[in-house]
Amino acid sequence: MKRRRLPHAAFLGFVALLYVFLLAPIAIVVIASLNAGRFLVFPPEGLSIQWYVKFARSGPFVRSFFFSLRLAAVTTVISTVIGTAAALYVVRRARRSSLLRMVLVAPLQLPGIMTALALLIFYYAVGLGGGSYAGLLAGHVLVCMPYVFLTVSAVLYHFDRSLEEAARSLGAGSITTFRRITLPIIKGGVISGAVFAFITSFDQFPISFLLSGVGTTTLPIQVFDYLRFSFDPTAAAVGTINILITLGVVILTERLVGLESLYWGGRQ
Amino acid sequence: MAPRWLLIAPALGVVTVFFLLPYANLLLMSFFVPASAQPYQPQLTLVNYAVALGDPFQWQVLARTLKLGILTTVFTFVLGYPLAFNLARARRRVKGVLLVLLLSPLLVGVVIRSFGWMVLLADNGLLNSLLRHSGLAPDGVKLMYNEFGVLVGTVHIYLPFMVLSISGTLQNIAPDLELAARSLGASWARAFWRIVFPLSLPGVFAGCLLVFVLAVSSYVIPVLLGGFKVLTTPLLVVQTAIDVNNWPGAAAQAMVLFVASLLCIGVYFALMNRAMRGLSG
Repeated sequence: MKRRRLPHAAFLGFVALLYVFLLAPIAIVVIASLNAGRFLVFPPEGLSIQWYVKFARSGPFVRSFFFSLRLAAVTTVISTVIGTAAALYVVRRARRSSLLRMVLVAPLQLPGIMTALALLIFYYAVGLGGGSYAGLLAGHVLVCMPYVFLTVSAVLYHFDRSLEEAARSLGAGSITTFRRITLPIIKGGVISGAVFAFITSFDQFPISFLLSGVGTTTLPIQVFDYLRFSFDPTAAAVGTINILITLGVVILTERLVGLESLYWGGRQ
Repeated sequence: MAPRWLLIAPALGVVTVFFLLPYANLLLMSFFVPASAQPYQPQLTLVNYAVALGDPFQWQVLARTLKLGILTTVFTFVLGYPLAFNLARARRRVKGVLLVLLLSPLLVGVVIRSFGWMVLLADNGLLNSLLRHSGLAPDGVKLMYNEFGVLVGTVHIYLPFMVLSISGTLQNIAPDLELAARSLGASWARAFWRIVFPLSLPGVFAGCLLVFVLAVSSYVIPVLLGGFKVLTTPLLVVQTAIDVNNWPGAAAQAMVLFVASLLCIGVYFALMNRAMRGLSG
């Protein structure tokens, strides 16, 4: 085994470098947000919170930030309810219906920018037009609901139905059975699905890009508009706040259901 | 008691109304006549496809899109396999930490991550400032607003998908198989090539497919890291639809991209099938 030590160390070094590659841009965003200069250069120019101040004073950024939070919250509630209901139906009633499953997760499999274009043209065709809140919300629900469906289905496949039957035979009604037996068991799947839905909506780019309009601009679109033609470090402050929110949501999930369910739920 | 189908009705309704119908409409739109006063005229024609397929410029854009998609797939595979191997063989505790490291980039929006690369790769960004400071390249190197920058961005964004896909299959290969090969006298490299690698191919297969499909349709990265100098088909589709206001043209371009990706996937399937047969024979 001694012969293999050196190649093995080289291999581990390579893997470590790849993790640096994966995390570098995120760490850099946080560092750039605290940098005094406009550009992050070597040697560094010192610390400053000016980009956060600029963010807080910028009307468009703050407005789109709160709009994104509200939109993500509404999207999460709707996606979680209808995604969970769909999973309950598909896993229990239509076990063999893989077509139904395919249709429900299809929005994740086609390119978001094409879906957004198709939706935009469709909205004009039916007279809704572009930039409406309802249209944007529907687009967000479309790409967030499949995550809830997937995570809840994953849990339901391992669900022992005799528990429900036992409750029913002991005289519990269908609502009591759902509330006291079914819901506590699928809770993990529901919560991780909701977390996925929230993050997907909050970070959503393609759908919002083509469907948001005046007054319905989300944060990623606002940042994108700033970065498209120039380089503005305010984006670093926005990015850091974004990262902190995501981190908060993930830590909360870890506390509630454990991160593994987030991983395995999403992988099914 | 309420009928059971009420459970599925809302989700199915959303997907039907906001997904199936719009895509059917997009397909139909690609056969309509473009007009100048309004975005289209409801008259059937093949002219959009004639334009999309007859224009050398659009072929060039499509070729670049597919090339970047293939390069992204190759690089994510080459970098992703070692990561997946390491992840699959890690101890339980370590695996949890590695998973968090691997998944956390996925939880940060693509615009923010592209911005991170802009800070690193820009002409007066961190890497160039390091290069100048150290005297390695006094004039700096162009790292962004070209195909290289776009490739760095797409490889970074899609690498975790490849790793998760490959490590999923690697994990299911019984370590006994490798041990058996080793105890029969095979070297570590031979055991890997003849046993582990062939068994992990389904994961490689799925990962490559996923990354390719995602990469050819990415929009944010070519815009922010390519700076409109690297025009790909998704950019062209959006330009045609929004700036030129030619919906039928944009719809036809989108359809051509779909078909071209499907053709690439078909060729890939055929090649993979031959490779699989070669390995098992």
